[in-house]
Amino acid sequence: MEKFIEKKSNLIWAVLILLLMGINLANILWNTPMVKDQHWAQKIFYYHVPAAWVGFLSYFIVLVSGVQFLMKKDIFWDRMGLAAAEIGTLFMSIVLLTGPIWAKPIWGTAWIWEPRLTTTLVLYLIYIGYFMLRSFGGNPERVRRYAAALGIIAFVDVPIIFLSVKFWTPEIQSHPQVEMSSQPGGILFPFFFSMATFTLLYVLMLKYRIHILHLKEKRGTNV
Amino acid sequence: MFWILLKKELLIEFRSKEITISMLTFGMAIILTFSFAFNVSPQIFSNFAPGLFWIMILFVSVLGLHRSFSYEKEFDAFSLLISSPVDRGLIFFAKWISATLFISLMEILVVLPFFLFLGLQTPSSISGLFGTAVLCNAALMVVGSLVSGLAMRARLSEVLLPVLLFPLVSPVIIAAVKISSAQMAGDLFADWQIWLYIILSFIVIFGLVGFALFDHITEE
Repeated sequence: MEKFIEKKSNLIWAVLILLLMGINLANILWNTPMVKDQHWAQKIFYYHVPAAWVGFLSYFIVLVSGVQFLMKKDIFWDRMGLAAAEIGTLFMSIVLLTGPIWAKPIWGTAWIWEPRLTTTLVLYLIYIGYFMLRSFGGNPERVRRYAAALGIIAFVDVPIIFLSVKFWTPEIQSHPQVEMSSQPGGILFPFFFSMATFTLLYVLMLKYRIHILHLKEKRGTNV
Repeated sequence: MFWILLKKELLIEFRSKEITISMLTFGMAIILTFSFAFNVSPQIFSNFAPGLFWIMILFVSVLGLHRSFSYEKEFDAFSLLISSPVDRGLIFFAKWISATLFISLMEILVVLPFFLFLGLQTPSSISGLFGTAVLCNAALMVVGSLVSGLAMRARLSEVLLPVLLFPLVSPVIIAAVKISSAQMAGDLFADWQIWLYIILSFIVIFGLVGFALFDHITEE
């Protein structure tokens, strides 16, 4: 079986992403303006927000895959759902790590019940349960259906969690992207560049993980 | 057909009383633990009372939900149920409504010891408090029944149920605590109506999601 990277298009894709990630990092370090009162801490914003975007996009793909799998019973959609759930959780881990790193010097405390961060944490916990279900659930045939349903339930819950946390802590609304208009010029382009780079990286990771899951199924390895 | 399914759930519970008694006993044990763990004056306690009440309900609901689905595994009753010509969405509705009724009944029985043992003042409008509590129960049980149906035939179902349920119902717990606190403090409806809307939207959204998904979850 041909290795993932041996396929020409995948190799080009991987090299391009590597290059873009390098440019992105250099761009963030040396080509973005310093924000008043935040200094170096603000730089994490270029990683935190794109990671959150990719995380939520990934969980949305779990929802779509779940619906498709339940309707069509095609194993491809199960593979796609699992891969998206894994990668989404990886990016959500980055969000939950970088959020407190930014918050400590800016808000004076590592954790605040900010609606977006709290929604991410709740969703993260749901997905830990999702992986427990996948690993310990037993009968693989059933577990696939349960996981698809859980992916749908989890994403439907997102807006309700967000709204309830927002009303629960109305005093906590300050978050970087809300105040984009008040940020100094020169932030927008590196920010969108970072978003695009993260999205491309995500697509490659998803493709690679689906490939691995496919191989594991072929060999009959438990995933 | 829905009424037949609901009658079946109620009849089983009426004969065995397993779910209500186990929930009630567990609820009492939790109240006792709260009294020992928080040895503070009733004035201070009253600030936390709604939160503690809903924590108790959340724990107790796990017990009830698990039991309500696990007896279906005995003699493979659930396979027979889903092989009958019944819309599985209706099975979900019957499970949901019966679970809401059982937890509401348990609340009626446990509310007096809760106020008594924790030295709290009984609120003036107990009927209003109960009315909103039933809605919160329905919101809790709609996701509870869905997750139970999902976890029931998985391995480690007793572990998976609370692990999946608690984060999923976090909006319900926030709203329920806010509603109970506001009602106990005698706040105006306008001040807490938003929480009631959150509960109602939760019920409608997950009622529909459950109806649509239960068919796939229970597929053989």
